[in-house]
Order: sequence, then structure tokens, then C-alpha cells
Amino acid sequence: MSRYSRQVLFDPIGPQGQAALGASRVLLVGCGALGSHLAEFCARAGVGTLTIVDRDIVEPGNLQRQGLFTEADAARALPKAVAAEAHLRAINTDVQVTGVVEDFTFRNAEWLAKDASIILDGTDNFETRFLINDLAVKTGKPWVYAGCVSSRATCMPVTPGRSACLRCMLEDQPAAGGENCDTVGVIMPAVLQAVAWASVVTLKILTGNESALFKKMYVSDLWTGERQILEAGTPRADCPCCGKREFPWLEGNRASRAAVLCGRDSVQITPEGTFDFEAARSNIRKAAKITTENEYLIRAEYEGLTLTLYRTGRALVHGTQDEARARAMMGRLT
Amino acid sequence: MANLIRIPTPLRNLTKNEAEVNVEAGTVGAALEALEKKHGGIKARICDENGNVRRFVNVYVNDEDIRFMQNLETPLKPGDSISIVPAIAGGC
Repeated sequence: MSRYSRQVLFDPIGPQGQAALGASRVLLVGCGALGSHLAEFCARAGVGTLTIVDRDIVEPGNLQRQGLFTEADAARALPKAVAAEAHLRAINTDVQVTGVVEDFTFRNAEWLAKDASIILDGTDNFETRFLINDLAVKTGKPWVYAGCVSSRATCMPVTPGRSACLRCMLEDQPAAGGENCDTVGVIMPAVLQAVAWASVVTLKILTGNESALFKKMYVSDLWTGERQILEAGTPRADCPCCGKREFPWLEGNRASRAAVLCGRDSVQITPEGTFDFEAARSNIRKAAKITTENEYLIRAEYEGLTLTLYRTGRALVHGTQDEARARAMMGRLT
Repeated sequence: MANLIRIPTPLRNLTKNEAEVNVEAGTVGAALEALEKKHGGIKARICDENGNVRRFVNVYVNDEDIRFMQNLETPLKPGDSISIVPAIAGGC
């Protein structure tokens, strides 16, 4: 019996839908809570290719809500994209899975999405979502916004030209200070609710059931049992993105070089130009205590801060939200 | 017939945990003013200092986003309900 028989028996999908799924190419941006479960759904459902872009490494504190990852992945400090790729290949060898250990930015976004038939949101911040929105609207690709925090979940599919985009709805990137998983926490059922909605709209889009795709915004609180399905609307003529076709996030006009990450008490620093990883590693060996080292990164302790330096030169400085302090540390060490 | 305002869970600390508040108003803006009279401090969480709906909050009349209608000037009929929906950034 085919491994997809139960999905094929589901009438709106059928053999044709399954074949379409098998030919689909999914770009998943972010592989944390939303992303790991979305990735597992895509692999089990039998998409054709699945490219996962994530900038972080697996940490013990992820395991309560994130799928795929194990204690061994955390102990080895594996990049999430690498660990996810290995687990997903073990789940379904039919799917061509590629993990990309990178920050998803305006520099690589168009290239990473060039073959994608859909873009899925596994991110935890609006800067990246507005970048995805610019990219999706510019290239006419569907994308699926998903979010979760506390016991609440949301999802909204965006089909450019037909349904409202993220900027029709939010206009601009919200200022910092909203609730996030680090300030109010998150429970796994909220993650799974967002993933369930995002997965079903993904199935509809990829199996040619787009007419069944309601122009809806889903919002729920799993703890209180409240659920609302609101109208997402059609593209606004005065929307800067789908109306006026302005794409400032994709053009790099809204990108930050150093970013304080989603309440994680961390600053991310992206280097300008080329980066000599070996030279940086030898400097760090002299000045700081290296705690983890593998083929993707090194991690070191220095003056109460933890530096995670990837081969590409991207650095995460844990233990501060002070950009200047993080930059100063990078300057001294590399 | 009044207008029911649905309060999202993150703002219920300002409404003594009430999930729904009834007001009577002719526009969304007036409804939010009436909500503020009952539960002081809540409007500042929904609107900015210029009185516009904050960028990370969406307000719906029945199931329609007021940004697609007349924003705070959107008229209310008796029985229309309002939902306040803060954007969700999380995912990690």
C-alpha cells in the first residue's frame, strides 16, 4: 500500500493532489517551534523538495515545544537546519530536503526562493515576515503567515493579487515591545494549532484546491477555548506592497545589521563583506574559553557573554541586549 | 441593542478578566472611548498617542477589518460586535 494512501483517499486531494504535492517545492523560513512541526508535516505529506533556512542551533530549552530535535542534537550544538535535515531524511527519503544554515535576509531571499512554489513562515519576528511578504508579492508566490505565543495562535494565507497581504493588514513592522515567547512563554498546543492551520492551507494551495482557500485570518486561544475566523479581505489598492509595489524589506532598506533577537537576551551581528573564520577562530582560542566546536560553528565564553560564531561570520552574542556591547566583544575577539 | 467588544486575553488584566464588554456607540472610535470609560487605560493599548489604531493591533467589526473600511470612523449598527486582535510575532 502506498505510504500516502490515507491522504490520497481524502477526496479533495486524491491521486492528482498527491502528484501535485510530490511536484511541489517548499521553502520554509525558520525552523523553531512552528518551523520544525511544519517541516515534519511537509515531509510526511510528501512534498517534492523542502528547503529549510534557519540561523540558530538546537538548545535544550527548545525541546519542550519544537519538533524533530533531540537531546543529542542540543548536546552537539547542531544547527537546526542541519539537525532537521537529518531527521526529515530519516522520516521520508522521497523528499529532497536541504537545510541551509543561514540568516534569511534580503541578500539571499530571492535566490533561496527562486524555485519555490510556496513560502512557509516558521519565523519568530516581523522583520523577516515583512521580507517574506515583499518577496512573495513581488514574485507572485503564495506564502503562509503563522504565529504563536502564550496559548494563542494565528495563521493567514497570502495569495498575492487575490488576498490581502501582510502589509494590507499591518501596514508596517510593529515596534518592539509586543508579547513574545521569551516574555510570556508558549505552550506546545498553541504551536500545533498554528501549524495545523498553516498545514491545511498549504495542502490546499499545493494540491490545486485554492478555491477552497478562504480569505481568512485565524486567531485562537487554546487555553480559553476561544476561536475566531476573521475576514482577511482582498488586496488594498493603497497597500504599499501589493498596491504600489514597493518592496523596502526586499531591497534591504529595512534590514538591520545587528538585531536584538526576540527577547532572547541575544544580539545577532552580521559581518560586512568577506569573513576569515580561521583567523577569527585562532583569535578566540587565545582570548576566550571555547566550550563547543563543530564543523559549523564555535562557541566561547568571554566576560560573562557567550559567543556563537558561524563559519559565515554571523555571530550570536548571548547574555546581552546591548548592541554596542556585543559589537565591542566581536571587535575584540575577531 | 448594545455593541459587544471582544477583549483579547493579553488585555483582560485591564477589564477585570472580562472577555466581553458591552457598550453603545455609533462608530468604532466612540466604542473604544466608551470602553476606556469603563476600563481606564485600555485605549492606550489599542491606539497610539495620535489616536490611531496601533500598528500591531487589528480591530474588526463583525468579521471585517476596519482598515478595509473607515478605520475608527467605521459606523456601528446596534448589535454589531467588535474584536480587538493583537498581532502575534512569536514562533520560536
